Amino acid sequence: MKRSYVIKRILYALFIFFIVLTLNFFIPRIGVRDPAERYYPPQGAMSEIEYDIIKQFTRAQYGFDVSTFQQYIRYLRGLTRFDLGTSLRPGSPKVTELIGQRLPWTLVLSVSTLLISLVTGLLFGTLAAWKRGRWQDTTLLNASTISVALPAFFIALMLSFYLGFELELFPAYTNPNMVADFDWSWKAIQVVLNNAALPIMSMALGGIVGYSQTTRNSVIAVTNEDFVITARAKGLSHRTVLYKHVLRNAMLPLATSIGMSISGLIGGAIIIERVFNWQGMGTLFLEANSTNDYPLMMGIMLFLSAFAILANLVTELFYVILDPRVTVGDKR
Amino acid sequence: MSRQNVILQIARRGGSLFSLGKKLWQHPKGRVGLILVGLLVLVAVLAPVLAPYDPYDVTQRAEKGLRPSLQHPLGTSITTGQDILSMLIYGSRVSLMIGVSTGIAIAFLGALMGVMAGYVGGVVDNLIMRVVDVLLVIPTLPLIIVLTNLLGRSYFVIVLVFVAFGWTGLARVIRSLVLVLKNSNYVKAAELAGASRWYIMTKHILPGTSHLIIMNTTLTCAGIMVAEAGLSFLGLGDPTAISWGKMLAEAQGGGALLFGAWWWILAPGVGIFLAVFSFMRIGIVMEEVFNPRMKASSSIYKLFKHLNNDYLDEVFQSMEDEANAEPAEQPNGSNPPMAEGAHD
Repeated sequence: MKRSYVIKRILYALFIFFIVLTLNFFIPRIGVRDPAERYYPPQGAMSEIEYDIIKQFTRAQYGFDVSTFQQYIRYLRGLTRFDLGTSLRPGSPKVTELIGQRLPWTLVLSVSTLLISLVTGLLFGTLAAWKRGRWQDTTLLNASTISVALPAFFIALMLSFYLGFELELFPAYTNPNMVADFDWSWKAIQVVLNNAALPIMSMALGGIVGYSQTTRNSVIAVTNEDFVITARAKGLSHRTVLYKHVLRNAMLPLATSIGMSISGLIGGAIIIERVFNWQGMGTLFLEANSTNDYPLMMGIMLFLSAFAILANLVTELFYVILDPRVTVGDKR
Repeated sequence: MSRQNVILQIARRGGSLFSLGKKLWQHPKGRVGLILVGLLVLVAVLAPVLAPYDPYDVTQRAEKGLRPSLQHPLGTSITTGQDILSMLIYGSRVSLMIGVSTGIAIAFLGALMGVMAGYVGGVVDNLIMRVVDVLLVIPTLPLIIVLTNLLGRSYFVIVLVFVAFGWTGLARVIRSLVLVLKNSNYVKAAELAGASRWYIMTKHILPGTSHLIIMNTTLTCAGIMVAEAGLSFLGLGDPTAISWGKMLAEAQGGGALLFGAWWWILAPGVGIFLAVFSFMRIGIVMEEVFNPRMKASSSIYKLFKHLNNDYLDEVFQSMEDEANAEPAEQPNGSNPPMAEGAHD
């Protein structure tokens, strides 16, 4: 039964999520016994009473003012109201609020990267499979080898150097006023697109090659199947066979790899965001790291893990629905 | 001949390390990889002899921002006048050390976990696979950043964290292979002869997986080198050492892009590329040597999956599926080991 399978997968995902959120709670606590002593050690001219006040304030800020068990209960209760805690930044903003501000900017980068690399990858991959063994195919193979060994941030630096500084085609760094000035006007959207061009390019390069390879291998695998040979034998044209028979079936493995890349969609851009100083989740995380803002860091971590679990679950269920050949482990 | 027999044959083809090296050397692409890795090791070991200048010397005011010339083959940095070639040579030590030590440690941990999960089965298997599931959904780079913040930025901590989160891919692959080996006749014979579990695991199962472990290790080394460069680029590596990622970060911070000092960026980038490329080459050729039916391009595809911790998963999944479909070919039909695949 498919229905019981679906329920089983959802329960399992919840179980994994519970373990992850528990780990998420305890990880910062293995390293930091007392945030006051770690981050604000007593200074020379400070009296005992003054330091006591600082200690109490810091502990309250980090949520260390009650016992660990009570902290854990408080954390769980916060989560039931979708409250990931309070950042240590001035003004004590909520972690969820900060994530909400930055998430759209990261999605601008990652979603457009995904779309571009998917469409281009499909085209190149099909071409390489159709021209198997000829120069189109070998070029793709060589491009793959090279692009895997080239870190994306190095590509980003080179693009920023050449297209940004030498040719001045696109801004080499993100315009610092872009986020604040954004008002949905056509001009503001143009500014965003212009600034996003280089980050998207440097991330899409690896993605294009990856999806091309997936498509190529999947198309070749499908081409050898019996139903394709039958279609050919019926006298259908190459074009019809490609669109109606091969590509439709070749999409299935692609769906899995999309699902996988979706889980890394938000967190995967940390280094690229840093190169271009793009104000997304990645830079938010690095800012939190450099100020020891643990509530914010762990909030982002939990958000990313939850997103990954959800993406995996959806992919898995989607796959079962999409591909009738997939059995769900039921003996009947 | 069933797929399962093919796996068993491949498993037995491993042979000694020496014969493996010989096969790699005979393969033109493998030879390129071996020579490059050899050069890299040589450069890293002989760094103090080879480096023309002191890479830590930040006091050469007169030598700032020199273009590549005979005195400074790769130029100097804009900010402090350090010799880029010397920094590049010293940087190879970090990449190689982190890459290789992490790769070897992951090989040990991954093999242990995979063999235990596959051979012992039951509760142990369940536990290990649940841990794998959890580790797979936690975003790796953010977690590494958190842990380096907590535990300090020494290379020991970085390697430790890489190992703690990098073993899952290998463990899954080894587990799938062990599930096949477990049902082979020679393991069955050993069991009947009364051999202990530990003996079978170390004497019969582990040798069968050795080629896969070696191949995976070279590819892991390549992946870790890229990851280490990224960490250093974010300023999270050991602050006292010179590494390629840190060179790139310093170049960007020091305005290499703005002042057109292309040599400062290009040198460490090419260094990373060559190091990773050579290890990858060896890994890919090894796969071809072990399994001639596998085409180079499909192993590249799997390399992408490897970077996502899903290396070889698909191949073994398909093998498991096929083995499931034809239970009649198994030596012992009552106990199909592959029924408990990765998606149980």
